[in-house]
Amino acid sequence: MKKYIFKRILLGLLVLAGVVTITFFLTRVLPSNPAAQWVGPRATPEQIAAAIKTLGLDKPLIVQYKTYVLNLLKGDLGVSLRSKQPVLTELKTYVPPTLELVLISTVFAVIIGIPLGLYSAKKKDKLLDHFCRFFSVGAVSLPTFWVALFLQLIFYRWLQLLPLGGQLDAKLKLMYEVPKITGMLTFDTLITGNMTLFVDALKHIILPGITISLYPIGLVARMTRSALLEILGEDYIKAAKSYGLKDNLILWKYALKNSLGTTATVLALSVGYTLVDTFLVEAIFNWPGVGNYISTAVMSMDYPAIIGVTLLSASSYVILNLIADIIIAVDPRVRT
Amino acid sequence: MKKKAVLILVLLMILAAVTACGSKDTPAQQPDASGQMDVLYYAYNSIPVLNWDPSIEFSNGIIVMNNIYEQLLRFNAATKEYEKVLATDYSKSEDGLVWTFKLREGVKFHDGTPFNAEAVKYSIERTREIGQGAAFIWDAVEEIKILDDYTVEFVLSYPAPLDIIASCPYAAFMMSPSLADQPDDWFEQGNANGTGPYKLQQTTMGDEVILTRNEDYWGGWGDKYFEKVIIKKVTETSSRRQMIETGEADITTELPAEDIEALKSSGNVVVEVVPSFTNLMAFFNTQKAPLNDVRVRKALSYAMPYDDVVEHAMGGYAKQSIGAIPEGMWGHSKDLYQYKHDLDKAKELLNEAGIKEGELKLLLTYMSGDEAEKKMAELYKAELSKIGVELEIRAMPWESQWDMAMGTDPSSQQDIFVMYWWNDLATPYSYLYSLFHTEDSTLFNLSYYKNPEYDALIDGAHENSAVDIEEAERGFIAAQEILLEDAPAIFIYDKNTVWIKSPSLKGHVDNPSYPYVVFFNKLYRE
Repeated sequence: MKKYIFKRILLGLLVLAGVVTITFFLTRVLPSNPAAQWVGPRATPEQIAAAIKTLGLDKPLIVQYKTYVLNLLKGDLGVSLRSKQPVLTELKTYVPPTLELVLISTVFAVIIGIPLGLYSAKKKDKLLDHFCRFFSVGAVSLPTFWVALFLQLIFYRWLQLLPLGGQLDAKLKLMYEVPKITGMLTFDTLITGNMTLFVDALKHIILPGITISLYPIGLVARMTRSALLEILGEDYIKAAKSYGLKDNLILWKYALKNSLGTTATVLALSVGYTLVDTFLVEAIFNWPGVGNYISTAVMSMDYPAIIGVTLLSASSYVILNLIADIIIAVDPRVRT
Repeated sequence: MKKKAVLILVLLMILAAVTACGSKDTPAQQPDASGQMDVLYYAYNSIPVLNWDPSIEFSNGIIVMNNIYEQLLRFNAATKEYEKVLATDYSKSEDGLVWTFKLREGVKFHDGTPFNAEAVKYSIERTREIGQGAAFIWDAVEEIKILDDYTVEFVLSYPAPLDIIASCPYAAFMMSPSLADQPDDWFEQGNANGTGPYKLQQTTMGDEVILTRNEDYWGGWGDKYFEKVIIKKVTETSSRRQMIETGEADITTELPAEDIEALKSSGNVVVEVVPSFTNLMAFFNTQKAPLNDVRVRKALSYAMPYDDVVEHAMGGYAKQSIGAIPEGMWGHSKDLYQYKHDLDKAKELLNEAGIKEGELKLLLTYMSGDEAEKKMAELYKAELSKIGVELEIRAMPWESQWDMAMGTDPSSQQDIFVMYWWNDLATPYSYLYSLFHTEDSTLFNLSYYKNPEYDALIDGAHENSAVDIEEAERGFIAAQEILLEDAPAIFIYDKNTVWIKSPSLKGHVDNPSYPYVVFFNKLYRE
């Protein structure tokens, strides 16, 4: 078991090293001019020459790569060409709002997806099951950007119930001190007890939250359903039934518990997908997260920022995969 | 157990929803003494500030900085006069080499430091020393002398229009000498200290900027003006449109033409179309055959469907250019030659140059993401195909597009480079020098145009603009006649700025010298 996990971690690190190398060379091989980017618009040749020196761009690419990796090992992701702020500092600002969305979607996936799959399995081929299956297929296949725009149209433009985008009403920000503890506003405002801000933050997260949750909800519902159906056909369930245990007890306690391994694996992987999916949703909802950050970075070929975000997504994929692997490994039936 | 947990979660959520309804009527804290929050909301299409250092910022940041910081003078493009801001008066010597500015007394920076001659000297020297952004505007200045606390004398090494320079929207801001005591990354942390009507209250990584009234502003305040201003990055056009429709935002710009039409007919908003100092140009690679033949360049200038481009690429919110200088800027002349869409003439000129149908293949580059440039390129391509010229259109990120153009081998360069230009200094020289003056290594002369006669003409006109504006204007117009004869570029259209405003917002006057800048202290609600 220990050896298995160790092997997995090693493999993960190898993947990350590969990702760093590929992104570094890819962003540098593409035609662009980091020095011009650093100096800003309408630069003079002298300014660009000075910037090339400052940024070390006059050295061979392989030397630059070495410097970058050495700094990276010290936890230094470099300085953004656009804002001239350390990429790590910027990520610390932009990651929490994205994490907030991902967490919300994961919570939704669990509290909506699992019961949905459960009832679907329980009422197999009944009306409810058809509805659930229809819903989950729809949730997985509807394009996120379409859902986002559609929700905005209904809830902002027509019903005028929910805000269009952003994390908090700009005018409220002027009236109240906005707490900065974790950077996840719904959480921060709740624990500091500012109900007005909390409610506003909640209102802001509803639409992007729903948009981003649809995929994991659908996925988890589908997986729970099929895993449960398989389990419900097993002998030990028949045995439990013949002992006269209540259907609900069998379903919730004996069957569901066994299906959770599959669900958790899928969930872990879907969190990784959601993280990238939020990028698009953030752009539409003007959510101040990593997605917003990376889109500006890509548009301006800000390579330290691009590598930083790529590394972040890659690490979360690797970690989530590791978690999924461990979950599977914990199951005694898999452990060999 | 699990069922219970789910139940509790659901109950918690309902509770939250209930508190949501309850707290609406009972705000936890009062906004301010009067209970009124008068906030002005500017929904901006990009990042409001890229660099908080007023010496360096040479981009969007002016929309914020012109409200926090001030120049000595401001140029009013409508009256063509200089508004006295931090200077109350100025004079120049006959030869335009010595300029004396009288400064406004009793002005304080936001931190209380007094504004005086020392601050002027400090600001300009700081900007020059850093040498980034638009620092070049001060190139002519040899020495800044402090005559007394409120009088500064500029000694120039060659005649230059210092009034134009001092009113530049970039790099001409006055900063407090107390800046020297701040840590190096003070600006990067999002700080500001100017003399302007608004102070920086807070900013989140450049996405959002909140300004608050500087109660001690030297210009004074009436009751009706805004206490707070929010400038927020809203990149999605559909979002900006919806925000202005619902009244969440008060003012915005840069919406697609279809949206503007729809908003106009809805009548809920005010749409104001004004000329801007931004023009779109297509630069020919004059170093590359057959574009080194002026007949070919002229032919290609006649092939551009100007009216269709204005109508379809810009939705009518532009005007075909006359010469290189946009309408409204001095140095623009209606009498200059204007190329018209004329395929017969284009064909004839190509024949004359010995180019057969199907022989000419050209590569056009434009900045990816720019819809208007893209539509223009497609319309142009269709016209060119009618005269047997094949056009390849390539969208590139700006950095790459520019990098390709900077290459030294003409054969690996583009044939046509499409780019917008806008003013930094309010002078034709800003266009005619940067875009067409001979360059040792390519910067923005993307036609690689070399003409000593032209160079001498605009350099002379620039020096003249320090002493005799009318003479200077004649020089700049004559220089444009050369450009139109040599056709190193197609002058496609002068863009309009379209402001979309809430009907209750009053006092807004556009000044094209300061693109997209809203001078917030002039605005009020009615």
